[in-house]
Amino acid sequence: MSLLQLVINGVALGAAYALVALGFVFIVNATGAVNFAHGDLVMAGGYVAVSLGALAPVPTLILLPLVAIIMFVLGLALALLAYFPLINRPPSTVFISTLLCGIILQNAFVVLFGPQARAAPPLIASGAWHLGQIEISVQALGTMVVAAVLIALQYMVFARTQIGRRLRATAEDRQMAQAIGIPAYALIAATFGLGTALAGIAGALLANQFFVYPTGGISLSVYAYIAVVIGGWGSIAGAVIGAMLISLFQVVVSAYVSYAVATGLLYTTLLLIFLVRPQGIFGERVQRRA
Amino acid sequence: MASWLLAGLRLPLALGAVALAGYAVLFAGPFDLRILTLCGIYALLVLGFQFVFGHAGAVSLAQATFFGIGGYVTGILATKFGLGFLSTFPLSIAAPVLLAVVVAVPVLKLEDHYFSLATLGIGLVVLLFAIQWSDVTGGANGLPGIPSIDIAGFVIADRRFVLWFVWAVVVVGCLVSFQVTRGLYGHAFHLMREDRAAASALGLNIAHLRFAAFILSAAYAGAAGALMAHVIHVVSPENLDLSLMVTCLTMTVIGGRTRIAGAILGAILIVYLREWFRVLENYYMIAYGSAALIVLILAPYGLVGAAERLRRMVFGPSVVKPPSALVHAQPAVGSAHAEPLLAVHDVTLAFGGVRALDGAGLALREGEIVGLIGPNGSGKTTLLNVISGLYVCDQGHVAFMGRDITKAPAHEIARLGIARTFQHVHLVDELSALDNIAVARAAFDGAGLLKAITTCGPDHGLETARGTAMAAAERLGIAGVVMEPCGGLPYGTQRRVEIARALAMEPKLLLLDEPAAGLNEQEQLVLADRIRSFAADGITVMVVEHNLVFLTALVERLICLERGRVIASGLPDAVRREPAVIEAYLGLGNPAVFPLKAVTS
Repeated sequence: MSLLQLVINGVALGAAYALVALGFVFIVNATGAVNFAHGDLVMAGGYVAVSLGALAPVPTLILLPLVAIIMFVLGLALALLAYFPLINRPPSTVFISTLLCGIILQNAFVVLFGPQARAAPPLIASGAWHLGQIEISVQALGTMVVAAVLIALQYMVFARTQIGRRLRATAEDRQMAQAIGIPAYALIAATFGLGTALAGIAGALLANQFFVYPTGGISLSVYAYIAVVIGGWGSIAGAVIGAMLISLFQVVVSAYVSYAVATGLLYTTLLLIFLVRPQGIFGERVQRRA
Repeated sequence: MASWLLAGLRLPLALGAVALAGYAVLFAGPFDLRILTLCGIYALLVLGFQFVFGHAGAVSLAQATFFGIGGYVTGILATKFGLGFLSTFPLSIAAPVLLAVVVAVPVLKLEDHYFSLATLGIGLVVLLFAIQWSDVTGGANGLPGIPSIDIAGFVIADRRFVLWFVWAVVVVGCLVSFQVTRGLYGHAFHLMREDRAAASALGLNIAHLRFAAFILSAAYAGAAGALMAHVIHVVSPENLDLSLMVTCLTMTVIGGRTRIAGAILGAILIVYLREWFRVLENYYMIAYGSAALIVLILAPYGLVGAAERLRRMVFGPSVVKPPSALVHAQPAVGSAHAEPLLAVHDVTLAFGGVRALDGAGLALREGEIVGLIGPNGSGKTTLLNVISGLYVCDQGHVAFMGRDITKAPAHEIARLGIARTFQHVHLVDELSALDNIAVARAAFDGAGLLKAITTCGPDHGLETARGTAMAAAERLGIAGVVMEPCGGLPYGTQRRVEIARALAMEPKLLLLDEPAAGLNEQEQLVLADRIRSFAADGITVMVVEHNLVFLTALVERLICLERGRVIASGLPDAVRREPAVIEAYLGLGNPAVFPLKAVTS
């Protein structure tokens, strides 16, 4: 395969990863906590798309709003179960509670759908366009367009609207936000809903080409985590760029070595990055406020 | 002995242990013997994890990795080289420790999430190695046929003996853990976990403490992994994957993060829960995850912590008599040197675009009491942070007793003799006020890891520290409440605990950040007297305050900061008349002498 083809494949996968990382960084920003069930929520979105696709044989694109709504509700449930009871505890507690929720989700998938991999219907149709040597599948293009629209939309919301400003204020300092009359708890719950809806859409997009299976979420949680770390903790643009870098790395490197070795190299690269820049690639070096 | 047994949870724990041991010896069938052996192995793994997760407060995700490496080293050496337990076991501990030492350099300086992710990354790389390097590791299927424990020809194959052997190792693990955590060294971990700024300001080397915890956790995990390999006779990638890590984390959270009994209880409970829930077939992991989640929400300190709190509610807190004060001979007050004790020269520090300090400079003479004033945001606390090493300034230098400390880390500066308090209380709520003060001695009285492990009988370091702490508490008038947990003390008392803690370091320079805030006039007078008595002992004191009434009566000299630079310095009355000072506080063109009452807040 030509390098250009690899880059196109990498960007298509990266578009889905970017949505995963985006949902992850939303929750990080609103709560300061890592949601380790995030990858499993991506899988949940994939399973929702699979189930809806079995009920109504229409392109997944039409089902996406419904997937988003169902996942929004699941996100609220996660917030109620794993975040709000622990709101005054150290962030590592939420890390553990979401890890446990992830375990519960993974095993719920086994019970409901069995251990084998499942595929959702394509976004619009199967097939591909050819431009000389280069091939772009409709699915890949659709994924990129959906991701681009959603990323642009969230940027507009956060930068331009009052609710976006309130969300950012809540993320910055919950108590201060409450003191000036922002309903912080409602906004945190909404953030969990939104982040989970984004994860679900990503899952529905990935579920056609890459399948869903019960333990598939773990590596996605880790990728989202890495994307946010190399992009600078809490930076939304950084998370999107980080996700792109990860997928490009994976697609390009695994063309030359095995997938397992590519994954190993990814983690090794991450550790080397930490050695040189403990604050991530794009993170700003700031002294801790004592 | 009887009173020792009746304190805390010791009696129920001892009875439970005796009952369990009796059951294991007399009634347990082959199945229970095996399960209880596994419980012991997990208990060892969790005991190790408690060091890094519980005591050091770092969510390491590499514990299962260390466990797996221990198992693989035993497996490879025993099956391919035919080595016996006496050589495989130490090597199985050494290998994960070696990995921990190597990765500690880049990993341990990372904070919170970055640390977790880096340890997770290490685990995933090792997992890939175990799967890919199949010539040596047996790949995805693992290495079968690992022999039973063989100590110089004596083979432990009988399940009952295996159980006893494993639990004997657990007992050793418990003893080491007890030794490490019971004394001054263990207290240092509490403060380091809860409050890094305060810990380094007390001279504690956070990097050393975290390193020790990480190494210990790796050693325990290696030992547990080696035992596991002998007991189930196979090592596979399952021995180091994420689900084992989750199990270990769950056991620690459910049992209790810092209690030895918690490690054992968590291990036994989770192993048995898993067996009981197996009848639920596919649902068992769901039930298991839910149970863990419920405990996490309802019992923040784990089941042992919950039991301790319950006992305290029912029987009241166990009453311990405070120790008697230990007054050291005061160091002779040195004759006033020509050079200043502390010299801050042209210090600049910017946070992003904000220049918090912009060429600030001052000098303190030995034995004087100096007030540092300035409007909000003028850089007073930032300057304190630069002097005490919590911030490193961009430009300029700081010298203490003629020594350049500009770039020195906070703990070294503290050890040189600079103590400080904080504007907001930095104390450990769970520890008694006395122990909060006693931690101040940890950096000075040589409380190291090896010393902690090898201390027999009562810990004299801790006793001496408590005596010193009591003396400091008496000077601050809080001797009556020192045995109470700090979290329950009134705010004013907590502030005094902090000053006592700084005093217990026996510093040469004491930096107080707004000590009079929230005190009434009577209390302010008492505080001023106490500060004068510190100075009389030869301690140089710098007080950051807004309260000019308090300062004018107390200090010999006032220094006024404005926008990060010193705009006036001298006798209190002169500084108050300085036009620049009046302008800084009240705005331009106000001719009046700076009023005393206006800023009394």
